[in-house]
Amino acid sequence: MSSLGGGAASNSIPTISAAVSSSSLASKTSASNSSDALSSSNRQLLTTIQIVQQKFKENENVLSIFEAYQIIGQEHTSRILCLVVSVAGGTYAVFSMAASRLPPRSCSDLTIDKVFPLNESFCMGNDRKGSISQLQFTLKCSDEQPVKYFYYPLSSDNDVVDFDTFQAQVTSAKMSMVLSPSESTALSFAWVNDYRQIGEVKQEMKRREHEYIKYKDFTIYCATYNVNNKSYIDSPLHLWLAASEDAPDIYAIALQELDTSAKAITFSENRPDYMWIMKMLESVHDKGEYEELTSVRLVGMMLTVIVKREIRSSITRHNVKTIARGILNTLGNKGGVAVSLQLNEANLCFVNSHLAAHMGFVEARNEDYHGIVKGLVFDDELRRTINDHDHIFWIGDLNYRIEEPPGLQLPVARSTAHSAEILLKYDQLRQEMRKGNCFEGYTEGPINFRPTYKYDPGTDNYDSSEKQRAPAYCDRILWKGSRITQLAYNSVMDIRQSDHKPVYAVFRVSIKTRDDHLYKKVHEEVLKLLDKRENESQPQIIVEKTIIDFGMVRFNETVVSDFTVSNACPMQVGFEFKRKDPPLNAICEKWLRVEPWKEKLMIDSTKSIRVKLSANVDSITSLLQKIRTTNWKFDFDILILQVENGPHIFITVTGEYKPSCFGLSMETLCRTDRPLCEYDQQQIKDLMNDESPEFRVTMPREFFLLIDYLHKQGPKVEGAFTLDSLEFKHARNVEFNDIRDWLDTWSNNEFPGTPQAAAEALLMLLHLPEKPLLDPYVDDLLKTKTTAEAMELVSLLSSPKRNVFVHLCMFLREGIERKYYNGMHVATIFGRVLLRSTKKSDDYYRDINCREFMQRFISNGEMSTLSSSSSSASSATGSHHNHHRATTPVAKMKNSASNASLSGGSTAAVDSS
Amino acid sequence: MAKKTYDLLFKLLLIGDSGVGKTCILFRFSDDAFTSTFISTIGIDFKIKTVELRGKKIKLQIWDTAGQERFHTITTSYYRGAMGIMLVYDITNEKSFENIVKWLRNIDEHANEDVEKMILGNKCDMTDKRVVSKERGEAIAREHGIRFKETSAKSNINIESAFCELAEAILDKTAGRESAENPERVVIDRRNNEKAPAYKSCCS
Ligand SMILES: Nc1nc2c(ncn2[C@@H]2O[C@H](COP(=O)(O)OP(=O)(O)O)[C@@H](O)[C@H]2O)c(=O)[nH]1
Ligand SMILES: [Mg+2]
Repeated sequence: MSSLGGGAASNSIPTISAAVSSSSLASKTSASNSSDALSSSNRQLLTTIQIVQQKFKENENVLSIFEAYQIIGQEHTSRILCLVVSVAGGTYAVFSMAASRLPPRSCSDLTIDKVFPLNESFCMGNDRKGSISQLQFTLKCSDEQPVKYFYYPLSSDNDVVDFDTFQAQVTSAKMSMVLSPSESTALSFAWVNDYRQIGEVKQEMKRREHEYIKYKDFTIYCATYNVNNKSYIDSPLHLWLAASEDAPDIYAIALQELDTSAKAITFSENRPDYMWIMKMLESVHDKGEYEELTSVRLVGMMLTVIVKREIRSSITRHNVKTIARGILNTLGNKGGVAVSLQLNEANLCFVNSHLAAHMGFVEARNEDYHGIVKGLVFDDELRRTINDHDHIFWIGDLNYRIEEPPGLQLPVARSTAHSAEILLKYDQLRQEMRKGNCFEGYTEGPINFRPTYKYDPGTDNYDSSEKQRAPAYCDRILWKGSRITQLAYNSVMDIRQSDHKPVYAVFRVSIKTRDDHLYKKVHEEVLKLLDKRENESQPQIIVEKTIIDFGMVRFNETVVSDFTVSNACPMQVGFEFKRKDPPLNAICEKWLRVEPWKEKLMIDSTKSIRVKLSANVDSITSLLQKIRTTNWKFDFDILILQVENGPHIFITVTGEYKPSCFGLSMETLCRTDRPLCEYDQQQIKDLMNDESPEFRVTMPREFFLLIDYLHKQGPKVEGAFTLDSLEFKHARNVEFNDIRDWLDTWSNNEFPGTPQAAAEALLMLLHLPEKPLLDPYVDDLLKTKTTAEAMELVSLLSSPKRNVFVHLCMFLREGIERKYYNGMHVATIFGRVLLRSTKKSDDYYRDINCREFMQRFISNGEMSTLSSSSSSASSATGSHHNHHRATTPVAKMKNSASNASLSGGSTAAVDSS
Repeated sequence: MAKKTYDLLFKLLLIGDSGVGKTCILFRFSDDAFTSTFISTIGIDFKIKTVELRGKKIKLQIWDTAGQERFHTITTSYYRGAMGIMLVYDITNEKSFENIVKWLRNIDEHANEDVEKMILGNKCDMTDKRVVSKERGEAIAREHGIRFKETSAKSNINIESAFCELAEAILDKTAGRESAENPERVVIDRRNNEKAPAYKSCCS
């Protein structure tokens, strides 16, 4: 490893781990570089993989992509999965991205929604149980639930690999990392965190980091000293801590073998030693003002970070952690203590470790190192490991010795004449690093000082005791990370209180720093871009027409109109017609049917929507009510087509209703002066809103025509009124419309239907108006005990209603009398029609009540009562409405329900005006 | 991985007669552009725009309504969901100004009681065609206790500040609600507010 040699190589990125084959890296790197150079007009030439690559930083290469989808709720949501390698971290991850369109046209169509680092817990499960139409697999890492993905058997995009290839690539990427044993403990997935658990804005900000990041130099001073259990040191520590020319910004000072006398171990072994910290603060560079940032101690090891006051506010986070590696890994006389901190945008880590002692314990030291790397996890929000930092400084008594070759033993190591260069050939640490057994990726600067161990305290003489320990470079400072330059690395001979000599190293580190002005600018741009992206990717639907004009719409005829809706965006879109507010509480008015009311549109697809309008027995009442009450121009309805997560489009259903007698009130019908076919919608609306007591006729001609016809049929009307008459079965046949026209033209032609159809038309005429015939006295009438009492109320009705009622009763009574139909049935159905409840809560008892009421008027026994009271009704008419013409038909009926009077009345009575 | 990249979501509604410039105002605010082609809105359309007010990322979802009379009954059903309403008239169109009263009545009837309102007299670039003076606009706003601004979607006058001011008023209300739990913070907010016109923060 040439980088061990010295500072020259320190700026270079640490060697790529062997796990990442260089050929696989090279294959796609060109994509990332070339894409930036392309002008925007050439953008469409980018392949999908190049677009995906743009989501990542330099040094992070997309190796392959795979198209999948997820089923969220009912929805199929496209996903692009890609296998990415970080050259710097030497590790792989699978990213799952949501695509707002497929294939993506630019990287802004993609949002990373999930990251799976290919760490030990990563698992790609291929669930073959799925059917062919739903090929599926799962991805899982850490403790999270496995995430299920589906994929299509074929892909459209050349860039996209098939499932087997993708799975093989992912598996081999993971294997390659696991198979490389030396790396297994040091795998860094820190880069993945940039894409994790963060919103779109942060993702985009990370991606554009280079636009607002600049590098600012900081001086970092690392120092280590094994103090050999000396409780108080009266040495010129400034020689050790203030050896640099300029005042450093940050100090990381590591001590080992702090006083661990019985008292210390039982009482305060993990509490920082403030005597020492005071001493440090006194001894640091005098050109700066310093304060302690944090200290961490584990038995004899202590690490103190001291910072210049003026940079204190640039440190936005700091955490400490210890890890014991002594006997049974718990004692804590060996192990490590570490500080993690964020300085501007960079994460720094300082480790002070005291590794296993003694010449022969090289492997134990290596194990200690790996144990610390693997086991030390900071308790911060990301649970960073040592390797999850941009700049790492490893300081301490690493205890590696100089292993002299046989025969050269004492003279070499103990001689002061031998240069460090020769000694270092036999240095265990450098040997082990060369073999790749420890400190992978770390660099150490050149050593131009004597071994720092072991001296007779108070002297510069190597151990003269009986043990005659071989001198060694126990105390070392190493680093890992980019943009680090070592400025000094030395020991201090003149501090003599310990059997070790203290060591220090000075670094210049270019720290990632955010330019606040540029950051703000980029941030604003990112917000704008994301808004724009969101606005542009809003689902859109094109509706063929927003006005559906049915033209002339007639009663009892269904008209149909189809229109298309097309997906106008590069993804699946859902839409539905919006339910309107109560009281309607439906997507459209009663007279409309819209189908389908809810649909999904695949990309490029079009669907037809059918709107059916029928002004029939079920809807005419509310339709006429709407016509009557609409102030502005009347539309049949306005449908709201609601695009899921998108606009709401108004579709106006318009046209003109051609009036018919059905559904109009008796009063309105009595105001007409010509057949209804000669009226238009506006004219009938005006007529409906006319509230004057003036009527052109005493009762509607349409009513009279029907009664007259039925009357003339004699026994042929048998069975005309039955219990199911109110189902209006005849009206559901087209032939019925001839009857409609016969009535609406006041035709002189023969009635175009059967007596049964005529009977139904009569019921419809009475049933379809907004208000029942006996309105507004329905409830009062039901409370009456006698016919006379009821007739008092009837006399208060408007004259058209009153006349129709009396006339109708006479007519029905005659039919019952002649046994054309069942009196009970007639009473039931006319009770329901004439006394219709305006509230929707009809109950059984009310129904009986209505029937009994009607029976009083139409059954034989009551005939005389009706006759006498109808005369009082007619006189009441005069007084209440000052409407003498009304008396004419009633007077006629009063005398008898004879054939003659009715047929005679058919012209004379109606045209009395 | 949260799609939610904002702290608060405010729903705003643009209403006013057809042709007063609602769609243009929205387009200017969201896309910073103006087009003089008149495409009448047939329905309800929205755009989003994220602004930063007092360090909070606020996503505005702004609904543009069809102004045509035949849609009035239908559009009122959208009032209820709105936290803020921009009521727009056209300074070159007397009728659109007279209708403000009608629109205000509509708001009273259909919107939430505590909805924040603002009247905009749009097209203030067309000085030669002006028929409604600024004073009349201010007077009607004062009468109803509503904020007022003259704007131009075409010349980009007051568009951004109008939205930010409305959003700020809503934020005040939201903060007011929070203040029961955390009175200290609101005090700080208010102080910041006094120093700099807050809408500046989102105007770029
Ligand atoms: N001079 C001028 N014209 C404008 C302005 N805003 C909108 N217009 C024009 O007014 C017409 C109607 O605008 P539009 O936004 O569609 O009105 P809306 O019906 O209220 O949505 C269009 O022709 C616009 O070009 C403005 O500020 N100044
Ligand atoms: Mg518009």
